[in-house]
Amino acid sequence: MKVIFICLALLLVQVSVFAQLERKLANPNQPVELIFHAPRHINLLTVEPLDKKSMHFAIMHTFGTLDGGIQNLFGLDNGANIQFSFEFALSDRLSVAASRSSKDKVYNVFGRYHVFQQTQNGNMPFSLSVAGGGGVNTSNYDFLPEAAPNFGERSSYFGQLMLARKFSPRISVQITPMMAYFTDPRRVYQIEGTQNFYMGLGFSGKIKVTDRSSLALQWIPNLNNDLRNNFGIGWDVEAGGHVFQMYFVTSQALNEQYLLAGGNGTIGDEFRLGFNVNRIFATGRRK
Amino acid sequence: MMRLILFFYLITNVAQAQQFLTETGYVNFLSKAPLSDFNGESKQLHGLIDVEKNMLDFYIDLNTLDTGIGLRDKHMRDNYLETEKFPFAEFSGKMSPVPNLVLGISNKVTASGKFKIHGIERQIEVKGTLIKNTKGEVELIAAFDILLSDYDIPLPKLVFYELAEKQEVTLKATLKPKK
Repeated sequence: MKVIFICLALLLVQVSVFAQLERKLANPNQPVELIFHAPRHINLLTVEPLDKKSMHFAIMHTFGTLDGGIQNLFGLDNGANIQFSFEFALSDRLSVAASRSSKDKVYNVFGRYHVFQQTQNGNMPFSLSVAGGGGVNTSNYDFLPEAAPNFGERSSYFGQLMLARKFSPRISVQITPMMAYFTDPRRVYQIEGTQNFYMGLGFSGKIKVTDRSSLALQWIPNLNNDLRNNFGIGWDVEAGGHVFQMYFVTSQALNEQYLLAGGNGTIGDEFRLGFNVNRIFATGRRK
Repeated sequence: MMRLILFFYLITNVAQAQQFLTETGYVNFLSKAPLSDFNGESKQLHGLIDVEKNMLDFYIDLNTLDTGIGLRDKHMRDNYLETEKFPFAEFSGKMSPVPNLVLGISNKVTASGKFKIHGIERQIEVKGTLIKNTKGEVELIAAFDILLSDYDIPLPKLVFYELAEKQEVTLKATLKPKK
């Protein structure tokens, strides 16, 4: 009896082992993807990486304040701050970018590096990226009675950490401790701040409403000055390789340094309409 | 008693000799839309053919499907296949007729069984060919079509890449005898 039992057990083990293949994930640490729709979320950079050799092109606009009403077409007549930004991924982790913002004609160069990514199995609960760079104000200051600022005096720098987590398929949050430094923050620059060094803590939120659109939130409390805090609320629509972002925001600033030093209007009347078009260009195998 | 145990071992060993396995099979999902064709491919098809028990079992990790554009892959995983919830596409079934695998002779086989993707399981039939090669391996070629709506996979709208409702699935794999 015993022997038969053992034999049966052996057979059963064999049968059950070979009944079906065990389902195994190719990468058990599969990263959580699309925490945000694009490498930009309203004005802030996100942890969203680019694939190696792909390019992200963002055209960003912010218009005048809404308080002019229909007479000024809710700020659209008051001229826009426009930023063109190109970002190119040298690897899946590192990208370099250049942007040009019409406010003070600032050219910025910066890099973004993805330190690690949130994983689906929860081994890594959040994604961490860093970004930093510098820029130069290229406005013409020949009209000033005093000497126009030189290249060094026109420069400004920024650095930030980006910690993000997709809490559920619908909700993603990013916390962005950020800082900026202006070598010589002159009154003639279009910033409200007068100090050299600025610190802020950016909060970005995404609440997915449909498969391809989300409510977007942005709040950047200042940590070392009395400027008003930046607040933005918007709507992101993803359409293939494009992400359209429409929003109301308290500042016309589009680059990191000006976001921290530029000052903000009040929420509501002094909201400005903003509109970003993000396009990802892929290279590599197409078909 | 020992003989009996030995006997059982022999039987199971014989059964094993009729099993063929792969972890590197090729799968291609071809989408032929009016304006743009594209495909998603994976080289990580896992498969088992057991001629003795007449059993087939295949699966792929859909995260390994590559359409050639990283962002499109991300959208595919996140919005359409929902791979975090449903990571695998799988097929288990039986062959008819049960092939008699002889070196160099091509066996036309129809497999019928359950195909599961995006959490939805349906009974399907797959036509394929099996050939035993000189190394004693089994070469499989099979093809079938699936309709995305059958599996509750939405078609992307308002996007710049078009996806066809019908996906033409091709499999190619060389399965090695189980040792």
